[in-house]
Amino acid sequence: MRDALRDPQTWLVMLAGTVLGICGVWLAVLGNPQNSGICVSCFLENSAGALGLHDNPRMQYLRPELIGFVLGSTLSAFSFKEFSSKGGSAPMQRLLSGIFLIVGCAVFIGCPIKLFLRLTAGDWTALPGLFGLVVGVWLGLKGLEVGVGLGAAKKQFGGSGYWTPLLFLLLLGFLLLRPGFILFSQRGSAAEAAPVLLSLGISLLIGFLAQRTRFCITGGLRDLLMIGLRAQLFWGLLLFVLLAFVGSLVSGNFTPGFYGQPGAHLDMVWSFLGMLLVGAISVLIGGCPFRQLIKAGEGDADAGLVVIGMLLGAGLVQSWQLAGTAAGVPLYGKVAVVAGLAFFILNLLLFRERDIA
Amino acid sequence: MYLLRLILLGSLALLAGCQGSSDRPVMKIGYMNCNSAEETMERFQPLTKYLSDKLNVEFQAVPVDTQDFAERFAGGEFEFAHTNSLVYLILHEEQQATLLATEKRGNYGSHTAGAIISKKGSGIKKIEDIKGKRVIFGPQLAPSGYLAQYDLMLRNGIDPELDIAYYAIPTGSFKHEKVVYSVYFDQFDVAAVPALDLELMTRAGKVTADDFNILGQSPTFPYCTFSARKDVDADLVKKFRQVLVDLTEPDTVDYQGETLKVLASAWINGFEALADSDYDQLREMAKRANMPPYQEF
Amino acid sequence: MFKDRVDILLAGLLLVCVAAGVALLIGGGSQASQLNPSLDKAIARDMTYQAKVSFLERLYAPVNELQQNGKYEAALLKLDELSRNYPNEAHGELLRGEILLRMQVIPQAVEHLAKAVRLSADYVDRQSPLSRRSLIDQLIANQLPKLKAKALAQENASLQKTLQNLYYLQGRLAGGCE
Repeated sequence: MRDALRDPQTWLVMLAGTVLGICGVWLAVLGNPQNSGICVSCFLENSAGALGLHDNPRMQYLRPELIGFVLGSTLSAFSFKEFSSKGGSAPMQRLLSGIFLIVGCAVFIGCPIKLFLRLTAGDWTALPGLFGLVVGVWLGLKGLEVGVGLGAAKKQFGGSGYWTPLLFLLLLGFLLLRPGFILFSQRGSAAEAAPVLLSLGISLLIGFLAQRTRFCITGGLRDLLMIGLRAQLFWGLLLFVLLAFVGSLVSGNFTPGFYGQPGAHLDMVWSFLGMLLVGAISVLIGGCPFRQLIKAGEGDADAGLVVIGMLLGAGLVQSWQLAGTAAGVPLYGKVAVVAGLAFFILNLLLFRERDIA
Repeated sequence: MYLLRLILLGSLALLAGCQGSSDRPVMKIGYMNCNSAEETMERFQPLTKYLSDKLNVEFQAVPVDTQDFAERFAGGEFEFAHTNSLVYLILHEEQQATLLATEKRGNYGSHTAGAIISKKGSGIKKIEDIKGKRVIFGPQLAPSGYLAQYDLMLRNGIDPELDIAYYAIPTGSFKHEKVVYSVYFDQFDVAAVPALDLELMTRAGKVTADDFNILGQSPTFPYCTFSARKDVDADLVKKFRQVLVDLTEPDTVDYQGETLKVLASAWINGFEALADSDYDQLREMAKRANMPPYQEF
Repeated sequence: MFKDRVDILLAGLLLVCVAAGVALLIGGGSQASQLNPSLDKAIARDMTYQAKVSFLERLYAPVNELQQNGKYEAALLKLDELSRNYPNEAHGELLRGEILLRMQVIPQAVEHLAKAVRLSADYVDRQSPLSRRSLIDQLIANQLPKLKAKALAQENASLQKTLQNLYYLQGRLAGGCE
């Protein structure tokens, strides 16, 4: 633990956690939906709607935060000469993983970042989600232990790593120019938004820091389970949670309880399973939804495919009404989670190198 | 040989089935007739079968006329009773019947109300206008077809025995619908109708909301009620109540070779466990109108 | 990168494509919405929404009038009549809940209001002309403490259901992602 704290990189990770914690709460104060200052899955659902991938008129907004995360990461990667176009491992599995990541998040109502934002705002219905995430990460680790791996991204000929940053650059253009075919909700949670330029600035900073530090929620939990308190990412995660809690207290948004919580439901079993799916898949593909955005920004085309999958999944969970709501989890949402778990197990079977185990 | 074996097996299975049902204690549920004994049985047989299956008691449904109910209940003819709320009050006061659950149906859920109506365009617009008019009521033991309106008139300074030209009660079945049609077809000027019947007739398109003036409506009070004889095992009473309260729209029962939705078959939306004190409003009405079980001569 | 003539040719063609695209965007940008008005989805959607709001106002005008005159029983009957053509319609459910609330039939009022919000989140939106936030807020403030205390005192499935509906409404008022 002492060694970890002596390492300047640990302090940089802690700085990233601090910024994420403060900004996660602050963005909600500035206008983003309650407890959703930052939520990769909610924002992807909003953005998918804005692009016309689903027709829920209350969930359509090209969230600047997503654009900022990716482009911030690209900026950092270029600044520190870390941008590297790579990819090529299990593309279809990664695309489908992206879809199922969003299924898990949508059933729970939120990505792992939002899970902690909900918890630190006193939303105890997120507790089963936390347990699910930890169990999912543990299951993913067990998978790695027995020789499962999708393979590492390799340096690629043809510059495939540029396409995701370019896509988000295009989305930035859409956000600023607002052409008629891009949809912006006038009502509902997608109509609740912090000022565009401020959101963009904050998320560029977060994207930049996250690229420098490899900050990742599931990565933090994974490293904690693997190497204990020496895990740098865990210290970043801890600071994120602490600062988010203090932010909730200071902003008056801390309302502890199980009932009447914003964007939450009481289907505890499905919150648990939804986040378990997210945790397990995240370990398998090397990072939570947020981390996938960051990796895609630094030229990882594999992560780029996960991002495309997540965007597709975001459209599907809304179109097929798989997402959990305050009224609970719909039947087909539950079916989709079970299908996701089957997909995870199938990948464990298919990608296991038996001679290593 | 194969056929013989099949017949033997079938007979054994039948015997086993008979043995199973005869092991269960037999109890009776008295259901108050609304329109006819046939209709009552058609409505409540599936519910009775459902209760038998859930509680492992062989319940038998018995259709009972309203005016005979108290006497037959006092005679120990049935262990459980399904009656309107006024008859429940009589059973509770006279036989210490235990309240189980109250039926939910219509806009007011487990409650209901009585309305006084006149035909649109008749010139009768306020409750005071009914003085000297011809009024038709529902049956006398109907809390929302007679008692509620009788009480409403008294509370508005109108004595039904003195201040109206005359009043009548229709004969036969479907009395509440007859009351509505009596005003609709100008046989009477004013009608005392349960709010629920007016709602159901409007929903069915038999009348429209614009056909009538609602001159007044009583406060709400509990609707039809399940009760139990005081000597029925307390544990069974508790379980019986729970089965009723837990009933939901999709719950089904296998009855006479068909799978039926229990609540829909009985024309019920659900059950609610009310407290006896929830019936106090009705008690006050009965006292003011000098009706059973508080009638004084 | 540009090692031979093919490279130079391809790079030239690429430049031409990019330039053509930019020129099209700059030159034809102002005509885009005129050429294809359906692309301006925001206007079309706004008009559809306004049409919905005015249709609901027109459809339920008799109910609102009866309600404003305190004729709650007649208003409910009018809703029953309208429900023949529009069963389970969200605004009808909302009005039924509103009327039952005025008549102090609380469990049914809560049930219908929760159903209305489940069918259409417009009623908890600040921005919607159909919003009933303050009514629902008041209902929660008045009824939740009473019902909580009652539920502690007695075990009652119906009471629990009403309480769950109130919590649902409270959660929807609290906001968050949907």
